[in-house]
Amino acid sequence: MSHPLEPQLAAYIATRLPDATDVAVSGLERISGGASRETYRFRLTWRQSGEARARRLILRRDPPASLIDTERRIEFAAYRAFHGSAVPVPEMLWLEEADDALGHPFFIAEEIAGFQAAPALLFAGGYDAVLPRLADRKWTILGEIARADPVALGLTEVMAAPALDACWRRELDHWEHIFDADEAEPQPIARAAIRWLRTNPPPPAQKLSVVHGDYRTGNFLFDEAGDIHGVLDWEMAHLGDPLEDLAWGLNPIWEFGRGLAGGLVPQEDAIAIWKRASGLQVDPIALHWWLLFNCVKGQGIWVGSARAFIDGGNRDPVLAYAAWWLLNAQDRAILKVMGKL
Amino acid sequence: MTPQVPLVLGEMAALAMRNAGPDVPDGERQTALTLAAMLLGVAAEVWDTAAEHLVRENRAVAALLGDADDESDLRLTALRAENARLRSLLIAAHVAAEQAGDRAREDAIWAELIASTERRKLSISSI
Repeated sequence: MSHPLEPQLAAYIATRLPDATDVAVSGLERISGGASRETYRFRLTWRQSGEARARRLILRRDPPASLIDTERRIEFAAYRAFHGSAVPVPEMLWLEEADDALGHPFFIAEEIAGFQAAPALLFAGGYDAVLPRLADRKWTILGEIARADPVALGLTEVMAAPALDACWRRELDHWEHIFDADEAEPQPIARAAIRWLRTNPPPPAQKLSVVHGDYRTGNFLFDEAGDIHGVLDWEMAHLGDPLEDLAWGLNPIWEFGRGLAGGLVPQEDAIAIWKRASGLQVDPIALHWWLLFNCVKGQGIWVGSARAFIDGGNRDPVLAYAAWWLLNAQDRAILKVMGKL
Repeated sequence: MTPQVPLVLGEMAALAMRNAGPDVPDGERQTALTLAAMLLGVAAEVWDTAAEHLVRENRAVAALLGDADDESDLRLTALRAENARLRSLLIAAHVAAEQAGDRAREDAIWAELIASTERRKLSISSI
């Protein structure tokens, strides 16, 4: 059975390929690809200059409400900025910010097919021998993101560029606002952490970097040799302190119960790889601040996930599951980072 | 625990009805039903433990604050409302203790917050 979106999608793509004929979409199916956008894969076929052509593509469409509200223009720009670089990302093709074509804004990208992303599969035993190799690739790529020049990438044209001593405040203000707007019940642990973060600000960022914002195990495509073929889910990308990105992946939530950074290697090994790749330093006091901040940010995401489900803007079961699974676990991560557990 | 179980169960029932129809692509049906099944498994645990956790937590926080714990209504909705009231007061008490430099009071509040996460732990929790 064909998906009801297929003819609408084909009609849209036909407008973007003026030299093509017989544009058709088939095999459209929704896949798990993060809860902030609806992700579909499909096969595009068309004829051009008398030749039949085909390509496997990805559609990322905004849901009615999300656990994080982000600008798809920024996500699209971040992917485009790194395409063809040492940071593997899919090629972005078309961005559509109006609702007319598919009911909500969306973008279309190439599908990087044949690889895996799920942590459950990665930690099932079959990949144990390549986990150190994967860790090396993971934090080397993150180091490359940190080392990149946002101005040279053109990203300062679409992303705000805070002063080096203002990066922390901008992010903390943003996520505290999420709590103010979205929390469905009081959050005494996260609120205590926020007060501590405001009272003990970190030193200024050593440079202004691109921050992926959700660089963790589960958001990249890996193979059986431990290589990484695509870094995904750039919807929280922004400019800021490079230690923010390093610390997000060290959030105890992303250890998946294995007691290792990202479930892969000891934390000191991950930091050493990142330092080598980025050429940057890691001030332990600053890293601790960003680690606690990222636990608060994580809680802000789960609070927003619960809110989106409660309000009915998005009743995707993944939102309720994320809230039930992670709200208390994230509180315990905050306690752990604060030395209370 | 938010969102609350009745809301989630109602939505899962609606999801099951939608996916019983012939117009849902197979891949989407498989994804939706797998996640719904996982959620229903957690719902059973959340539902079974909710009253126990709320009563214990409300009593503990009320004792810490020297506040009267209202147990005149033991429905989950009433227990949750009382829990939200008490935890809001706990945040205010925590701020006051920090500003007064009252370390003993701070430690007592942290002890209750740690205990609250032990009460709320689910079997699927990794921390």
